[in-house]
Amino acid sequence: MRARVSSAAPFAERLVAFWSNHLCVSVPAKPQIAALAGLYERQVIRPHLFGRFEDMVLASARHPAMLVYLDNAVSIGPNSAAARKLARRGHEPGLNENYARELLELHTLGVHGGYAQKDVEALARILTGWMITGFGFADRLVRGRDRRDSGGSDGDVAFAYQYILHEPGDKRFLGVKYREAGEEEGRRAITDLCRNPSTARFLATKLARHFVSDEPPPETVDRIARHWVETDGDLAEVSRTLVELDESWAAEHRKFRAPQDWLTAMLRAVGARDVPEPIGRLLQQLRQPLWSPSSPKGYGDTKADWADPDSLLNRAELARRTADRLLSGTRTRPSGESVRASQVDPTRLLDIVDVPAGNPLETLLADDAIAAAERTALVFGGPAFQWR
Amino acid sequence: MRRREFVLGMCAGGLATFAAPVVSFARVPGRGRLVFVLLRGGFDGLAAVVPYGDPRYHSLRGAMAYDSSDLLDLGDGFGLSPGLSPLSELWDAGELAVVHAMAIPYRTRSHFDGQAILETGLERPDGSSDGWLNRLLQLMDGERAGLAVAAGLPRSLSGDYPVATWSPVELGVLDDGYLERLHVLYRADRALYDRFEAGLQMREVASNSEMSSEMRGRGRQGRIAPVMRAAARFIEEPGGPNVAAVEFGGWDTHANQGMAGGSLDRLLGQIAEGIIVFREECEESWADTTMVVMTEFGRTARPNGTGGTDHGTAGAGFVIGPRVSRSRIVTDWPGLGDQSLYEGRDLKPTLDTRAILKGVIAGVFDLTAAHTERVFPGSDGVRPIYDLIV
Repeated sequence: MRARVSSAAPFAERLVAFWSNHLCVSVPAKPQIAALAGLYERQVIRPHLFGRFEDMVLASARHPAMLVYLDNAVSIGPNSAAARKLARRGHEPGLNENYARELLELHTLGVHGGYAQKDVEALARILTGWMITGFGFADRLVRGRDRRDSGGSDGDVAFAYQYILHEPGDKRFLGVKYREAGEEEGRRAITDLCRNPSTARFLATKLARHFVSDEPPPETVDRIARHWVETDGDLAEVSRTLVELDESWAAEHRKFRAPQDWLTAMLRAVGARDVPEPIGRLLQQLRQPLWSPSSPKGYGDTKADWADPDSLLNRAELARRTADRLLSGTRTRPSGESVRASQVDPTRLLDIVDVPAGNPLETLLADDAIAAAERTALVFGGPAFQWR
Repeated sequence: MRRREFVLGMCAGGLATFAAPVVSFARVPGRGRLVFVLLRGGFDGLAAVVPYGDPRYHSLRGAMAYDSSDLLDLGDGFGLSPGLSPLSELWDAGELAVVHAMAIPYRTRSHFDGQAILETGLERPDGSSDGWLNRLLQLMDGERAGLAVAAGLPRSLSGDYPVATWSPVELGVLDDGYLERLHVLYRADRALYDRFEAGLQMREVASNSEMSSEMRGRGRQGRIAPVMRAAARFIEEPGGPNVAAVEFGGWDTHANQGMAGGSLDRLLGQIAEGIIVFREECEESWADTTMVVMTEFGRTARPNGTGGTDHGTAGAGFVIGPRVSRSRIVTDWPGLGDQSLYEGRDLKPTLDTRAILKGVIAGVFDLTAAHTERVFPGSDGVRPIYDLIV
């Protein structure tokens, strides 16, 4: 959040938020990845923001946070060497399809992208052996056993291909034969998935929904999808297309701000260099804490997801609280130095919202009888600022 | 700003107008209501609904075993723990079915997976599926509304049918002047005006129940009763929800559960108090309200080394209300012998949560088996318990 509020490149931060949510991990789902979620964003999302989609997905597939979050780290090939050994000891190890399914349904092809249950299983077989190092620690991490007994630091956790877990033999996935090639099979499958036309369409729809409107025009989706296919998912190119789309700026296409987006916009508008302290609590109250979606689908991205009556009141309250804190009295920096609160002229805030002439906001902001803090809160808590 | 009935109509109808087309079925005469109370964290069924008549109970629970004289006796060798004693009122009125040795269909000791199963109503974890309460709303015909009383929209109510949410946060700085001015601003935004009005309405209902001050004071009744009181106020409003989800955390008692007056018992006391407060606050609406109390899993049969219990399998739950056919304990008791325990450590499940939930919704909303299976897809092998509700 700090980066989002203070960034000199807010568009890049918006992309970080988008991709981080697209390939999300969730800490409440697997508390043992708490220390890895921030790393995941730095190591998987940010480096590939303007790179290739397949590199981002591949990085995500190999990151310990994702391997644990969607259980690929506990998936064992039923005919692997490890499975045979475990079977002799009376265990029944097997595949875990969780990651394979979400990789198809949520990360690449989309639920109607043209795959069947047998493809989910084949992909799960292909990805067996994609594991994490430091087996003892990894084991505890995966099973969520006593986190206080750390057999290693986070630095010890890294991707490792474990051939003894890998399902041997050729696999048939999406009608294509994948010859037995160990770790390489997974790389090939992910590259193929990312270049599949269904993936281009699925991501074009999702991007258009995020950057244009909840129900984007089909031509817009087509244009993004076409550009995606032409550039093999080059995200620098695709992002450029998004900015160049007239629809992205058209007044009739407006988007209701999701909570993190709204909070970021408010804090940027008042010139807060830094995030006020209880940011986690604020995001909790707004129902969109970082790295905590309730399912691997990530947070919703439409007005229907966020514009419920209670949330509008919650925002009104947070706007008021934030304005009061920013505009009254002095604040103390961590260094102990006292600084004057931010100076915000409420009438100038009219420029940051898009209201037609004659909107009651003009009158209210010019009304000196209303305290500056309240006028500021009216901008951020009012309807115009809920849209971008 | 004080047009309560009109505004709540907006809340129920105004938000529902953009819902997907629905399947029609005959409306029940009258108006059934369902309140699903989820106790997040896995509450200890063996501490709440005590099987004192099981010959292994005392040796298994050791220092954490109750004497039958401490309990509210339900007969058949079961008793309610001291904290739950306020529920005797419901038991005597014939409004309390106590369910035991019940579990979700999927074996997991993960809170997240367990809650996901209970809330999606599916057989296995499924990353992106919606909640069963939302599917229930989608099935219904005519005027209806869903409400979540929770810090966020719970999975159980998420889905295509729009529902309202109300979170019990402290609302301190929303003075009337500020709200009046915001109201002027929202009036100029046609896409959001109805929602803002509905929000104001909910706030007014909640503050009428004096919950803000109660919650700030965290008085004798603890944090549960004020939330339950507010939930009842919403239910009781004209046009109020007929499907509601309420949730409370704090049940993951790994350490120092204690006995009568201990930490778990106090929490059980709060939920019992909350249920009674809800019933009182509902007034006439109580007659057609049914409440189901469930948790994602039970806990280990034996105490652990820290005076608590760890994540287990089967546990207990409650079906409450005047529509309950009679007060009784519903269980196919598996016993607590070593051979009877699931994986040698947990109470063994003999009853699927969906058998209860399907039976309840069939009774409350007069649904056919085909309907209940659409609410709980893939549950055709699970026979609903129909005689829970009359």
